[in-house]
Amino acid sequence: MAQHVYTKDALLLKADNICLKYGDKQILSDVNFEIHNIQRPNMSQGQVVSLIGRSGVGKTQLFKILAGLIKPTSGTVTIDEDQHVVRPGEVGIIPQNYILFNHRTIYQNLKIGLDFSGQKVSDEQEKSIIEDYASKFGLSEHLKKYPMQLSGGQRQRVSIIQQVLTGNKFILLDEPFSGLDILMVDKVIDLLIQVSTINEFNTLIIVSHDIENALALSDTAYILANKEGVAGATVTETIDLIQLGFAWDRDIRQSAHFQELVAQIKFKI
Amino acid sequence: MKETLKNSVLPLSSISKQTLIILVIAESAIALLAWHLTGNGLIPSPLRVLDAIIKLVTEASFYDEFFKSIGLSFKGMGISLVVAVLVSYLSLIPIFNPIAKFVIKCRYLTLTGLIFLFTLLTQDGSQLRISLLLFGIVPFFVTSLMSIIDTINVQEYELCKTLRMNNWQTLWEVVIVGRLDQVIEVMRQNFAISWMMITMVEGYSMSEGGLGTMLIKSNKYLDLSTVFAILVIIFLIGILFDYVLGQLRFWLFPYTKLQLRK
Repeated sequence: MAQHVYTKDALLLKADNICLKYGDKQILSDVNFEIHNIQRPNMSQGQVVSLIGRSGVGKTQLFKILAGLIKPTSGTVTIDEDQHVVRPGEVGIIPQNYILFNHRTIYQNLKIGLDFSGQKVSDEQEKSIIEDYASKFGLSEHLKKYPMQLSGGQRQRVSIIQQVLTGNKFILLDEPFSGLDILMVDKVIDLLIQVSTINEFNTLIIVSHDIENALALSDTAYILANKEGVAGATVTETIDLIQLGFAWDRDIRQSAHFQELVAQIKFKI
Repeated sequence: MKETLKNSVLPLSSISKQTLIILVIAESAIALLAWHLTGNGLIPSPLRVLDAIIKLVTEASFYDEFFKSIGLSFKGMGISLVVAVLVSYLSLIPIFNPIAKFVIKCRYLTLTGLIFLFTLLTQDGSQLRISLLLFGIVPFFVTSLMSIIDTINVQEYELCKTLRMNNWQTLWEVVIVGRLDQVIEVMRQNFAISWMMITMVEGYSMSEGGLGTMLIKSNKYLDLSTVFAILVIIFLIGILFDYVLGQLRFWLFPYTKLQLRK
């Protein structure tokens, strides 16, 4: 287990006492967590945080609250250095079924991301940026295709690049390993590591029930579960994977200690 | 061969285009034979209908009536589509939503009950026909368009929000541009209704002519061969229009082909 030199400084995202109630049903109860900027010498180290919980615990609702798509019954999500309340469009989302515009080609889908980024770039620069990303993520030969012609994994990559091109530093991924075979999971992990290290402030928030893969990729994990006697899910445990020596290690899943941690968490969710 | 026959009766199985053509030809031949064998009583036989078609198409006056109906059809469909699309898109703006809901419910209003009112409100037979046609078609168009809008996955709107589109840009991207191919499909599906309406409204204002007028006159004189001949012509126009709109949809929106069951 390698120990890395790092510092955690500025607060990037804060979920403060998030509660969500539909009618009489309490879905989320006092969800609290923070994401800080991680700095490592001589590299752009983004943040990868997991919210782990079993199916039906309220992960997707929390996902939408973090993206500013739905308002919590009480509590706030604040982001960036000035810690303002999150607004829709400030946090990118990659839903489980990788929603894209089916009437547009892959190139046009990526172009939309860039068009709404607020950057003023010429058509030629736009073309070059899109082609550059497509090449990095193995999509060059698919730019003229429509989303329905791509596999699930390819659509997921397009979704991720689309959000990266909008300039969103925060990207939420809902069950990114769901339905993928083991080789594809490895590719997705590589891809997400690549995205998280493009920019110092890039922050990936993975909402998943896949404990092993979510932990293998993250620097911090929050367990979302139901506490005894409390209605609604809340953060029951914070796992600092950097301190445990499990972060930023491509082969961590082979470590027996890591597998012990995975087994322990299985009983906690 | 055995496999092809088996697939032809197996639910959800795929058959080749060639097999499909053979099935269509064979089933049409059986239907024509059954018609031929049971005809010649009240229902004219296929050969008598064919004679009536030849007679019809060789008369110059037929083309006047035919193009009157075609003209009315295109005019009615075109205006109805514009009105229906506007009403449907505006339904997403809350203030206009009750109007769209009311238009949908107008499907239950019968044209026969409103003909006197429309006669008073319009200036001539041509205006009467178009007005009745619009009143008849628009509610069906709006119903189909609204059902398309209602089934849009909420995640598409959410994607737009995360891409920082405002509500107008989202409406444009998801509802207008994103569903343009389905407008053509709605047009194709509702073309049959419009033809039904056209023959009906032509009957309400017979002085203007058209295939509907011809149908009513032929029925009046029990000239069933001509009635069937006109029906066959209308049927063939419908098939042609169906095909043209289907191809137009694939040509303009190639991605729609990807959504079809092979």
